[in-house]
Parts: sequence; C-alpha cells; structure tokens
Amino acid sequence: MEILQVKNLCKTFNKGKVEALINVFFSLEKGNILAVVGESGSGKTTLIRLIAGLEVVNEGQILMKENIISSKETFIEPQHRNVGMVFQDYALFPHLTVFENIAYGISKDQNKKERVTEVLQLIGLSGMEKRYPHELSGGQQQRIALARALAPKPELLILDEPFSNLDVILRNQLRKDIHTILKQTNTTAIFVTHDIKDALTVSDEILVLQKGNVLQSGKTKNVYENPEESYVKLLFESM
Amino acid sequence: MKNLFLHIKRDTTKWSIALLTIVLFITIPVFTIFINLFYGPGETWSHLVNKLLPNYVSNSFILIVGTSFLTLLFGISSAWIVSRYKIPLRKTLEWLLILPLAIPSYITAYAYAGIFDYGGVVEKLFNLKIDMMNHFGLIFVLSISLYPYVYVASRAFFLNQSSNIIEASKLLGASEKKTFFKLILPLARPAFIGGLILVLMEVLNDYGAAKYYGINTFTTGIFRAWFSLEEPDTAIYLSAILVLIIFVLITLEKQQRKRIGYFNATKNHKRVQRESVTLSIRIIFFVTVFIPVLLGFLLPLFQLLYWAYLTFTEVFTSEFLSISLQSLLIALSSAFVTVLFALSLLFFAKWNRLSIINMLTKFSVLGYAIPGAVIAVGVLIPTLAIDKWVVTIFREYFNFKIGFILNGTILALVYAYTVRYLAVAYNPIEASTLKLGKSLSEASKLLRKGNIETFFKIEFPLLKSAILSAFILVFVDVMKELPLTLILKPYHINTLAVKAYEYASDELIAEAALPSLFIIFTGVIPVLFLNRLIAKEN
Repeated sequence: MEILQVKNLCKTFNKGKVEALINVFFSLEKGNILAVVGESGSGKTTLIRLIAGLEVVNEGQILMKENIISSKETFIEPQHRNVGMVFQDYALFPHLTVFENIAYGISKDQNKKERVTEVLQLIGLSGMEKRYPHELSGGQQQRIALARALAPKPELLILDEPFSNLDVILRNQLRKDIHTILKQTNTTAIFVTHDIKDALTVSDEILVLQKGNVLQSGKTKNVYENPEESYVKLLFESM
Repeated sequence: MKNLFLHIKRDTTKWSIALLTIVLFITIPVFTIFINLFYGPGETWSHLVNKLLPNYVSNSFILIVGTSFLTLLFGISSAWIVSRYKIPLRKTLEWLLILPLAIPSYITAYAYAGIFDYGGVVEKLFNLKIDMMNHFGLIFVLSISLYPYVYVASRAFFLNQSSNIIEASKLLGASEKKTFFKLILPLARPAFIGGLILVLMEVLNDYGAAKYYGINTFTTGIFRAWFSLEEPDTAIYLSAILVLIIFVLITLEKQQRKRIGYFNATKNHKRVQRESVTLSIRIIFFVTVFIPVLLGFLLPLFQLLYWAYLTFTEVFTSEFLSISLQSLLIALSSAFVTVLFALSLLFFAKWNRLSIINMLTKFSVLGYAIPGAVIAVGVLIPTLAIDKWVVTIFREYFNFKIGFILNGTILALVYAYTVRYLAVAYNPIEASTLKLGKSLSEASKLLRKGNIETFFKIEFPLLKSAILSAFILVFVDVMKELPLTLILKPYHINTLAVKAYEYASDELIAEAALPSLFIIFTGVIPVLFLNRLIAKEN
C-alpha cells in the first residue's frame, strides 16, 4: 500500500526567482525507507518541509493514503497530517525532561508512561526519563529525538540529516541502530542526507535530487548498480 | 492570476484575518492624520505658515544641530574611553552613564532651570546668574538627557571592534589620536548615527522641556493649534509635516543600520584590549567620563532631592498618593495591553501564511518614531467621530442620552500608549523568538499540537524573560510620558508626569520635585533589575 504520493511538485521562493523543486514525482510504500540524496541547495530540505506541512506548495500535489494533504487549493495543517519528524538540530524542548519530551505528542487515550518506557527501551536509553536535554550527549539527544517522533506512532517519519552533527564512530553506530528500529516498528520513513553512505546503509529506496530536479529514483540497489546520470555515478564513486 | 487567487483562498485563515485586524487597529492614528489632510487645513493655517511655521522649522533645526553636536561629543568620548582604557571606577561608570535616560528630559529641564535661577545653587555658590530659558539652555538639557542613546550604540560598536585594526594602525606609525580620528571614528559612524537618530526623534517628540523654556517647536505648535486655537485641522497639518521629518530620519537610520553589518568584526577577531595610561591622562579621562554622569544624572538628582526635602510635607498628601497609584495602575495596564498586542502581532504573523499581510506588520511598529502629540491627535479624531456617531444613534433611535464611551476615557489613553510603545515591547520579544529559532515550534506542531497549545507549552515558557523585559520597558516609558498624556488623559485622572508639569507651569518648580523623583525611582529600579536579568542570562 502506498503511504505517500508526490505528484508534479513545484516550489519557488523569492517571488518565483528561485526554483527549489521542479516537477518532483515519487511514491513510497508502507514500511519502506526512502533516502533523499543531493548536495546543498538541491531541494532536499524543501521537499521534506512540504511533506511535513511546514511550507506550502506552488504546484502539484502531496497525498497521504490517497488523501490530498497539500496542493494549490488544499493545505492540511502539520498537526493533522500524522507525520513525525526528527530535526537536524534535534529540537528537543530544553525546559522539559526526557520523559516530558517523549510524552509530548502521545494522545490522551494512550498510556503515556507505558509508551514512553517502551520507546526508551527500543532506543536503548531506559532510565533517562528525568534528565534534561542539556544533560545528554549528542548521540543520546539524537536517540531521544527519534523516540519522541516515534512515540505517537506516525504514519510517516521524516529524518532531516540525522547524522550530520555526529562523529564518524557514532554515525556508523546510529546508522545501523536507526535502520533496526525503523524495521522493527515497521515505520515508513524518509530521510534526507548529503552522504551517500547513509543512503546505502539505511534505505530501501533512493531519490537523487539536483537543483530541484529528480535525477533518478528507485530501489537503492538498482540505482547503485545502474546510475543513469553522470552526477549519480559520481555520487556513488565518491564513497 | 488564477493560481494567485487559489493560493490566497487556500492560505487565508483566521490568523490572517486576526493579524490584519490588529494591524489596522494599530495604524488607525497614522492613517487618520494623512486622510484628514484631504479635508484641508484650518482657518489659521495661512497665519501659521506666515508667522509661526518658519519659527517652528528654524527652532527645530537649531535644536537638531545643537543636540547632535553635544550628544555626539558626550556619547562617543565616554564610550571610547570606557571601552579602550583602564580608568578608576570604570565598571561603575559604564552603567552610570546610562542612568540619565531614567530622568525624563522635561524633569532635567526643570532641575536646571532651578539650579541656574535666582536663588539657585549656582547663584548662591558663585554669585552667577545664567539664563537657561533659551535655545542654548534647551540644547544643553536635551543633550545631557539623551546622550546615552549615542553612548550605548557607540560602546557596543567599540567593544566588538577587532584589536587587529588598531594594532595594524600603530605598526604603520599612527598615534593613538590619529588612529581614533582617522580609523575608528569613520568605522563607528553607522553605529553612532543610529544612536543619534534616536536622540533626534526624542528631541522632536519633546514637549515639556521646550514649553518650559519658551521655545516654539512643532510639538508645542500642535498643542497650541489644538488647545489654544481650537483648530484640529491645523494641528493635523503640523502633525503630518512632523511625521514626514521623522520618516526621513527613520530612512537614514535604516540605511546606517544596514552598513553596521558591513563593519562588524569577523569571527576570528581579538577584542579591543584596554590600555593602561599615565596618571594625568587617567585623571583627564575620568573627568571626561564623569562630566556627563554629573550633568545628566547626579546634579539634577541632587537638586530634585533638595527640593523634595523642602516641599515634602506640602506635596506628600493623600492626593499625591492617589495620583501615584493612578500612574502605577495606568502604566501597569498599558504595559500589559501593549505586551499582549506585541505577542499577538508577532505570533499571528508567524501563524499566518499570506506573506503580503506580514509585510504590513512593519507599519504597526512605527508608532515609537511618531511623537506622542501626533499619536494623540490621531487617536482623538476617530474616537471623537465614533463617540459622536454612537451618541447620535442612541438619541435618534432610542431617545436615550449617553456620554462619550471612548473620548476622555482610560480606553483612549491606553490605546494611544499601545500605539506609541508597541515597538518597545515588540522588538525584544521578536529578537528572542529569532534566537529561539523555528524548529521547536515546528517540532511541537508535528507532535500534533496546534498553534495556541504550542505557544503556551513551548514558546511562552522560553520567552518569559523577554516578555518581562518588554513589560518593564513599556511600564517605564508610560510612567515618564507627557505630551500624549496631556492631550488624552481623562479629566478626573492625573499622572505623576502631568502633575510635575502642572507644578512647573504654575512656577511651583520645587513642588515638581517629589513627583519627578517618583518617576525616576520607577525608572531606575526596573532598569537595574533588567540589567541584572540580562547579565544573568548572558
């Protein structure tokens, strides 16, 4: 079943002078992990912000389970989209404890304590409930941000450059951990990265962007073995 | 075109409507001034143009030139010395130099009128009588009252200046004096010009000092046209000219502010190191820095304390306590309403998706640049019109006689303060929200919380000190405010500022000291508290 469909998506900034996305077209099946790859300014962040509802589209449509959530006529607010997001800077609420951060998005009809304990166990940080974000290391903050996004059981999870603030060793460890956690919870996810190694380790599918255009998309293995554009080839050769 | 219509239809939400309502509500006074220009001036306009307007223009020009020279002299010299050199009591002097801002300029004017008057301190000690009631006297009191604007802006620049520039200059053989005049001063120009523009806006806004010293300015002219000549149309025309002058100053200030970024030190800079100097130079520098503190704060304060001691039993009555309480309540409620409007403007703009409406919010915060008398005129006209319309409706349709519901009431006064001081509340809160960034509120929304819930659970707790700072700043400004209050205050209400003005107008200048001291006290204490709060946060 397709969780997400993006059709002919266009986005401009600065009164049309900057074309951030041009006719982007792709879909995502339930339980799959899609990596969106490209250099700075390729439109990766714009794409996920449009899907999350943090920006409005100029042209095209975004559908979740075949319902339009964004188009030039329709806009569903972010809080009603059932989309979770792990931000590049983690965006943990500094005045709330780890427990309160994770419990923040859990609905009232769920047992908050139970769910928080469950996700903390999942990410391997049980016992951290009473700590504040500034008392955690970078890697721990990253995991708590992931736990917070997973706790409300979103239909789609977006991760914005999840490993960019981490050192190489931590990065390698978290790549594997995140892949395991997402597969264990059968979470459909999109993650944005400029590092091709992240894409190859974590994702089932890949979408390569350059200057707002989709150069190539498909199963990661297929794209890796059959790059159609010279940029895509260079991307894999740069590893 | 069809796409544009679809986007507007999609993006117009309740927040867009709420934002537009607030923007229109706040900008009514300024639009009123300009719309009423089309009704033509009053009967006395031609007389005013021929006989009085040249006087207003020339006096305003003299004040601008004179205060520019003195505020730049006091502000830049003291800022450079405390930033660059080790002098005795430097840390204390750094914050004492800001304190003249706690004393409203009209109160400084009253104090100096007394100091130099017959029987004053100067005559008693030196057998000297100096006439302050002229252009030079007014320039002097306005300068020593307002130089802190230049001082603060210049000091911020000098402290952030890279020492590499000074070291490079010295290695090329330049003396300290040459380095300062040829290098540092030109680089600092955008900063101190920015401070100077604020000084000039306050000079054009001043009413109490100019009136007491008998100097005709645009603001005294507006009062005269409205109250003495009973020519509101003439007052509107004068207001419009004043707003145009202010607009030119704001444009200059914005141009200078853009250039500040260009001159800011890069990331890899070494801050200016304070230099030790010889004893004689240290004494000269100390005296140079102490003079503005003495003239701008200590002397007026001592004069006022002396007068308050002489007149305490006479002035400190139940009526005085009642006026103090009224002042406090008006200032507290105005500060509350203003902060509420500032938060609404900021967050409705954030939640609104129509970018064209967001552009209009910039007009809402222009009130601080517009003189209080002009805002008062801009509030009086529409509120009077609404009141007359309501009275007519009740009389003709319900055969019922009612009084004015807006004009001459606290509502109109609080509304005018909100328009005048919205920028004072808006700017610090906006700066803090920018520091906070977007991702926290975005994270909250993606965790299924709406705008209001996000505001109360996430943004408000993290903005508490900025909101408190905004509240304190507006409170202090409202306590000091005179021209707007004089025009709009209800008949049965009085404030400490108006009481001090009334005493001075009746030549009971010593009696003006106690209400003046209360105003200064309510200004200094919150400012010191704010200073501590900012230092603690840093």
